[in-house]
Amino acid sequence: MKTAVVRIAPPDTSFAEDKDYAREVRTAQLLPALERGDAVVLDFQGVRFATQSFVHALIGEALKRFGEAALDRIEFRSCSEQLRSIVDLVVDYSLGGFSSSEPSGATQGGGQEPR
Amino acid sequence: MPRFRVPNSASLHTARFLLDSNHFFSARGRWATFELHPRWSHMEPLALAMGAAWGAWCRRNRYEVRVVNSGPRARYAARMRLFDHLGVPFTAGILEHEEAGRFLPVTQVSDGASLRSVMADISALLHLEHDSETLAAVQYCVSELLRNVLEHAASADGAFVCAHNFAAKPPHRVSLAVVDCGCGIREHLSRTHPEAACDDAAAIGLALRPGITGALPGMYGAPDNAGAGLFITRCIAKGSGGYFLVASGNAGYRLRRASDDRQQEILLEDPLAERHDMWQFRQAWQGTIVALEIRTDHIGDFNEYFAWIRRNTPRRAAASRKVRFT
Repeated sequence: MKTAVVRIAPPDTSFAEDKDYAREVRTAQLLPALERGDAVVLDFQGVRFATQSFVHALIGEALKRFGEAALDRIEFRSCSEQLRSIVDLVVDYSLGGFSSSEPSGATQGGGQEPR
Repeated sequence: MPRFRVPNSASLHTARFLLDSNHFFSARGRWATFELHPRWSHMEPLALAMGAAWGAWCRRNRYEVRVVNSGPRARYAARMRLFDHLGVPFTAGILEHEEAGRFLPVTQVSDGASLRSVMADISALLHLEHDSETLAAVQYCVSELLRNVLEHAASADGAFVCAHNFAAKPPHRVSLAVVDCGCGIREHLSRTHPEAACDDAAAIGLALRPGITGALPGMYGAPDNAGAGLFITRCIAKGSGGYFLVASGNAGYRLRRASDDRQQEILLEDPLAERHDMWQFRQAWQGTIVALEIRTDHIGDFNEYFAWIRRNTPRRAAASRKVRFT
């Protein structure tokens, strides 16, 4: 299994909030690597803060499509304390759901149904 | 005719009167009137952003805006560029020796580029270079609220954002507002949550819960939306001890400070279980208003907010696997 290192470096800022950038990383690098069966290192060196929307746009679809097994192949490198909490939060609701919302529907792309 | 009358105090704390005493979007006539108080008007970002969004709506609908009582006491509103957005010249002169900066003047955001520009300017404009915790909290809220408008509001004029860092005397706080004249929360959410279609208050109550989004049915599948932005923004306001307001259509919700410190540290999924006001207005705001305060003297460690939010966010099931951080 190969490992792809993906540097998360939103332009000109240490505050990652640009969902367009997150979407680009997701569709061009993260999802293709996971679909090939590779492991992925998401390297957040230089990012101090991120929004939940940014992290969701980055990893939410991967968790949806590959379920909990995605966590075996994604490594989160150089995360600040705030980033760790946001990643944990996004993973929690992506795999477990919020209690107030509807159960997650059909998965996209024929991937594994999250629990 | 459309009429926006500003009382002598127009802030998050007096929002009910401002919202309930106007006919913002009346369809008659060709004039629209923006009326300042004849003696003195204390306008905070909520009222300034509302005025700018309303002005853009009027101009788009070919109303000619006229301003009543735009004398020297309206200089602050002029410095905040309200008159630019109303399309009316301000002739009483702007005093440049007032508080130097500490504000983000009313700014129209209509795309990702203008959003990034606002984000880049916030630190210097609000003088937060040496307060990284408050800066992060403000940037977080501004980003989430502006992206909500760009992605969900179907607003022809985009969003209007305004903020002021009140640092001179307590309570020290950043007050900020993001306002649009788009489709409103009820229309947006009712596409995926039919229970939101019945009234604006129900729609607002839903929108403030985690995991509710109008983007696509059965969220978590929506690659770009989780429906958590407004929930987290209200959590940040609560965590710092500030107020939080959402108004859309004929309804408005305002989160207030809890009655004791212990309650202030608890996050409740149901916004109606928090200490709050829920208002019904006679006239609707066509679009959405979000305003909040971040208490800069209570912000503490912004890093800890998200661990706190995570601990307090109800989940159907906890993920059993640990995320690998290295």
